Amino acid sequence: MKTRIPILKLNDVLIVSIQWELDDQTAIQFQEDLLNKMHETAALGVVIDLTPIDFIDSFIAKVLGDVINMTGLMGAKVVITGIQPAVAITLIELGIRLNNVMTALDLENGLDKLNKELEA
Amino acid sequence: MKRSSVEIITEWDIVAARQLGRNEAKKAGFGTVDQARITTAISELARNIYLYAGKGRIEIERVTDGGKDGIKVVASDEGPGIPDLRKVMEDGFSTSGGLGAGMPGVKRLMDEFKVISEPNNGTTITATKWLH
Amino acid sequence: MNKITVEGIRQNMDEIIERWIKTMKEEKGERFFHFMPDHLIEKTSREFAELMTSNIDESDAASTEKINDFTEKVVRFGWAIKFVNKAIDNFSDIVFELLEEKHIINDANFKSFNQLFKNWINPLRESIIDAYSTEWERTVSLQKIALQELSASLIPVFEKISVMPLVGTIDTERAKLIMENLLEGVVSQRAEVVLLDITGVPVVDTMVAHHIIQAADAVRLVGAKCMLVGIRPEIAQTIVALGINLHEFTTKSTLQKGMQAALGLTNRAIVEVEEQ
Ligand SMILES: Nc1ncnc2c1ncn2[C@@H]1O[C@H](COP(=O)(O)OP(=O)(O)OP(=O)(O)O)[C@@H](O)[C@H]1O
Ligand SMILES: [Mg+2]
Repeated sequence: MKTRIPILKLNDVLIVSIQWELDDQTAIQFQEDLLNKMHETAALGVVIDLTPIDFIDSFIAKVLGDVINMTGLMGAKVVITGIQPAVAITLIELGIRLNNVMTALDLENGLDKLNKELEA
Repeated sequence: MKRSSVEIITEWDIVAARQLGRNEAKKAGFGTVDQARITTAISELARNIYLYAGKGRIEIERVTDGGKDGIKVVASDEGPGIPDLRKVMEDGFSTSGGLGAGMPGVKRLMDEFKVISEPNNGTTITATKWLH
Repeated sequence: MNKITVEGIRQNMDEIIERWIKTMKEEKGERFFHFMPDHLIEKTSREFAELMTSNIDESDAASTEKINDFTEKVVRFGWAIKFVNKAIDNFSDIVFELLEEKHIINDANFKSFNQLFKNWINPLRESIIDAYSTEWERTVSLQKIALQELSASLIPVFEKISVMPLVGTIDTERAKLIMENLLEGVVSQRAEVVLLDITGVPVVDTMVAHHIIQAADAVRLVGAKCMLVGIRPEIAQTIVALGINLHEFTTKSTLQKGMQAALGLTNRAIVEVEEQ
């Protein structure tokens, strides 16, 4: 059983929309796929949309955090969008703050934010 | 009271356990935020079993106490046990390179939290969430 | 209750009531017997006496139905529970006294009368206490709900800017509710900046600060920015004295200043238009 998360390219930006509950394998596969795609396309930014996700535990949070840090090392910027209120609350209560990441309400806002950031 | 359980043997059982938890939480009448809290707590406990004890089980039970309704999660295994309970309850303590957020996180996510663990004699963690 | 007692009470009802009113007027703490016109006192007292004796009949066991009726009506008098208790005490004392005077109670049957009285009075008292405490619990929970409703709504002020005024003491339960309303509101109102106004929060201790910091963090995760406004000088002092670190998020002394900053963050400003 191997599901892969599709990664789309739009100009200089990669767009990832996570549509279903992440299991551990998929999450790790995604990390690898994204880094490869970044390298291939020389993208400057990534938007990861989590709107349909209804919970994130510490493992997924770590994978996400790692993705963000690795992307940063590769010289690109990441915006996470669509974190649901319930997910945000549980993350905070877990003690996970995802400190150095840009966020936006939805994909559209996220792309705006990213483009402004890339122009600057 | 009604009780259901999932044996944790493979990684997929973690997914099964949290799905069961979410369904039970929904049935018990918890709102979306509490559903997420309960699901997340179960995910943490199930993954710890998988990672540190190899196998074990998650039991989910509807409970009542003096007119209050709630959900009780029992995570038990016959693994190596936790040598220093105080340490694992600190934020950021991990023996596996994880965030070390699981144990202290579960305690914050749930209303009641109890660990019984002995070296070489397994670990049993009980966590309860009450409907307000 | 035995027949003689019942008869004795019924025949001496007027006397009992009269003595009871007199004793009650000497009690402090309840305005009823001091400010009410006499005919109303008379009427209520008679009602009370009737209720008191309504569960006395030939059978020994008090009927639950009559006790419930008694309680329901007495609660409606609106007296303080201490006063109701006194009223019951005085009433039974007077009845006892009177029956003794009339030689219905004597040394020989004293013991059994004592038991009789217990069976009569105790259920009434218990029922009253029960009713009052249920009422208190209800009041407390209603007030809690009222407090929660009062102070946890997010108000959309401008496009992209919302304000949540916090009023009153923040405990853990309220903090959770505030957090939920705040985040749901941010998402549904599509707010990009939220101003958390703590002008109405009397004390900011480490616990409250911790909840505020958590709320701000969660707001950031859903994709908006949280600003803390309405920080009075004494609150600023306690925050610093307690060593609470609020460096990571923007704070402003007043809502106005916060609003200006929020407009700036969303690339807008208020401009004055010259009169024509
Ligand atoms: N069931 C268990 N049996 C044995 N040891 C355990 C068990 N559960 C937890 N531990 C120990 O407690 C430590 C802390 O667990 P915790 O869940 O808090 O963090 P983590 O699993 O290391 O990281 P995270 O959960 O953030 O991914 C673990 O690293 C492990 O050493
Ligand atoms: Mg863990």
